[in-house]
Amino acid sequence: MTTEQVRVVVVDDHLMFRAGVRASLDGRIDVVGEAEDVGSAIAAIREHRPDVVLLDVHLPGGRGGGGAEVARECADLTPGTRFLALSVSDAADDVVAVIRAGARGYVTKAITGADLSDAVVRVAQGDAAFSPRLAGFVLDAFGTAPADVAERDDELDRLSAREQEVMRLIARGYAYREVAGELFISVKTVETHVSAVLRKLQLSSRHELTRWAAQRKLL
Amino acid sequence: MTTERLPLRRPREGRWVAGVCTGLALHLGFPVAGVRAMAVLLGAAGGAGVLLYGFWWLTIPPGDPRDAAAEARPAALSRLAPRLRGVQQSAARRNVLIALGLLLGAAVLVAVRTGVALSGGWVLPAVIAVVGVGLAWSQLDTQRRPGARRADGRSPSAVLLVSAGLVLVLVGALLFAGQEAGAGTMVRAAMAAVAVLAGVAVVLAPWWWRLVRELGDERTARAREAERADIAAHLHDSVLQTLALVRLHADDAVYVARAARSQERELREWLYADRPAEGTSVAAELRRVVAQVEDTQVERTADGAQPATIETVVVGDAVPDEQSAALLQAVREALVNACAHGVPPVSVYLEVGEESVQAFVRDRGDGFDVREIEPDRFGVRESILGRVRRRGGTAEVVSRPQWGTEVRLSMPRAAALKEDA
Repeated sequence: MTTEQVRVVVVDDHLMFRAGVRASLDGRIDVVGEAEDVGSAIAAIREHRPDVVLLDVHLPGGRGGGGAEVARECADLTPGTRFLALSVSDAADDVVAVIRAGARGYVTKAITGADLSDAVVRVAQGDAAFSPRLAGFVLDAFGTAPADVAERDDELDRLSAREQEVMRLIARGYAYREVAGELFISVKTVETHVSAVLRKLQLSSRHELTRWAAQRKLL
Repeated sequence: MTTERLPLRRPREGRWVAGVCTGLALHLGFPVAGVRAMAVLLGAAGGAGVLLYGFWWLTIPPGDPRDAAAEARPAALSRLAPRLRGVQQSAARRNVLIALGLLLGAAVLVAVRTGVALSGGWVLPAVIAVVGVGLAWSQLDTQRRPGARRADGRSPSAVLLVSAGLVLVLVGALLFAGQEAGAGTMVRAAMAAVAVLAGVAVVLAPWWWRLVRELGDERTARAREAERADIAAHLHDSVLQTLALVRLHADDAVYVARAARSQERELREWLYADRPAEGTSVAAELRRVVAQVEDTQVERTADGAQPATIETVVVGDAVPDEQSAALLQAVREALVNACAHGVPPVSVYLEVGEESVQAFVRDRGDGFDVREIEPDRFGVRESILGRVRRRGGTAEVVSRPQWGTEVRLSMPRAAALKEDA
């Protein structure tokens, strides 16, 4: 994986933005295709079978489901093809919709080229890419009070104490490496925790996470 | 607007009984007193006025004629802010109704005394039926009143009252029609009547249903149009202005970047956030603090000075109090310091817990030795650490070379402090 380039398809309805992404990604990444709406995205992904799809959340076409629809339609291609959501929106509903559709991470379009390349490589390796904002959202949705800590590891509706710590540090702007240093664990362990949180976010029966989060905001 | 005639509505403001006279006066442009006098005169003359009044009460929809006029125009053209309300008179209406009832009673008594033969046979059914009709129609009036209805326009008590009214009218009609008949005939007649009514209801139901649905559709369409006009007005005000300013200052990179960032922040708030009411959200206060810092500070990047961009993450929310206000002031100082002395990206994380509010401000500079802060350097020691510690919070500065600096603040919430005391 270290010598091979990560093959990427960029899906976004703005040509300017696709060009910008293409230019900002570094040498570890090879953009093999582009698409501008739901239909062409599904076609391009099926044709190129990329390692990672950089997926805009709001896309025209299809049945109106945007990026989440693309991820759901191409779910049979995973784990060969993984999705990284990329959006200007930081609304909780958009984040949850695309993560629950199977995306392995969520970054906002303000991200720098180097950070985006890191996130792409991380997703290609099967890990999850969490931006500080996504981590903050996870904490908001699952709760931060002592009563919100999971007692068993297999609980899907609550985060374990360690997962909460990791999420908190990511929300504070720490890179994975810095999180590892702060908690005296390896980067690999941090990645394991983040993937576990992603799984909970995707599978939790704490249904309608968004509405729940919205209610919390109304406190 | 001045030349146009106001639509016929029964306004809530300034009405005596059901607002028919006030509405007529507004519609025709006559003085209200004159219209009322006319109505009373007509009423005295054989009850025509009363009948007419009842007819209009039923057929004229309630509402403010000025609002109705505004609604009839496209939303994009009318003002968005609601109008100020006039004085509401609701007590008078009940008094007038009671007076009408008493007058009716007196008239009946007078009629009995003067020897008009009132056979008890029809008085009781008539009274029952009139009460039933009154009960049902009173609901017709309140149902259409804006604000008092639920989403579907009905409340359980309204449905109950209408059905009670219906039953009363049925009973009254049966008593009236079947005065001489025996109990068996009455029951059969009642069943026949109910069956006929049910048949009619089944036939008419689809039409009624479609009418209701079309009304709802129209209402939502209007609301959507108003919303769109609202957003268009906002876009015009802020985004176009920013674009004009950006074009004027195209050679001033810092200014352009700052204007773009400020506009982005505002637009984001509009598009993706539920905007909480003023003074109810610590998260909103923090965003305001961040906006102020971004608008005034410059950070040192590899490409030279750039307007500050601060990554902000908030978890939880609460109503602001003095404790959180002090914490946010300290956060503000920390952000200013981070922009001035640190290296971007600068990030702030705020977590509102049940007991305390925690804030972390991080930058990626080379760090500095906290012990080397001169005692006379007021910035960090007083305005950040002191401010939080004086209110029972904890504050520390962690700084490492090649890692940057993080200010960690934790402030107990006012509610939690009171419980301890």
